Amino acid sequence: MSDGPYQVLLFESVSAALLAEKILKKRGVPHKLIPIPRHLSSDCGVCIRIRESALQQALEPLEGRVKVSATHTLSQT
Amino acid sequence: MARIIDARGLACPQPVILTKKALAEYSDIVVLVDDPVALENVKRLAASERCTIEEDRDGREFRIRITRGDSCTLAESVIPHEGPVVVVIGSDTVGRGEEELGTVLMKSFLHTLTEASKKPEVMVFFNTGVKLTTQGSEVLEDLDALSNTGVRILVCGTCLNYFGLKDKIASGTVSNMYDIVETMLTAGRIIHI
Repeated sequence: MSDGPYQVLLFESVSAALLAEKILKKRGVPHKLIPIPRHLSSDCGVCIRIRESALQQALEPLEGRVKVSATHTLSQT
Repeated sequence: MARIIDARGLACPQPVILTKKALAEYSDIVVLVDDPVALENVKRLAASERCTIEEDRDGREFRIRITRGDSCTLAESVIPHEGPVVVVIGSDTVGRGEEELGTVLMKSFLHTLTEASKKPEVMVFFNTGVKLTTQGSEVLEDLDALSNTGVRILVCGTCLNYFGLKDKIASGTVSNMYDIVETMLTAGRIIHI
């Protein structure tokens, strides 16, 4: 679990995050849907966590289909 | 003369239980603790009982004087129950209504549980909840992580059998209603999802 480093992709809505998850699943890009870390937002939202090394692999299929509103590096977990 | 309660070196929730018991008998007590968490917990108990609190620090030890006035009442609800925390998961989704949303919430819940500092001792999976523990489940990584930190994962055998998933279990132990009922009856707290 703590074998990062990880990046999290944030979206504008829960449905956008779910759509992105579907796309990544279809493409076989390893990812995990997690609650948005508390230090990034106090909203009860979800985001997608991916390994830093897979960032481009994840962003490419999302381009033009789902808007990624922000990406953040996760220092732990 | 204040009654002295020596709770130094005792693990949570012992200091709170001892304080609670002492307050039921005496109206003026002094509790000794050597742990900041115990200090906060004892103070919170005293505050919830509307008692007067005076706190002294001596090195690594704390001395909490608690005086009970007329307005100090002992509420049963503040006794921390002893026994393990049990999380019961009776469905593969969280809440009722929207299945897609419920699936997301379950993933979020289990992920967050893996990161929680205080984890449940036991998790019980019932009904469609057992599907979370079988091959192909998207939360196996989280369940394994929980299991590796010592959380016991009990999976209802009848449920696995009903869904034809008995040989597909990938995390946890197949359990029966006897074990599950005993676990529940001896639990300190049950959290039902």
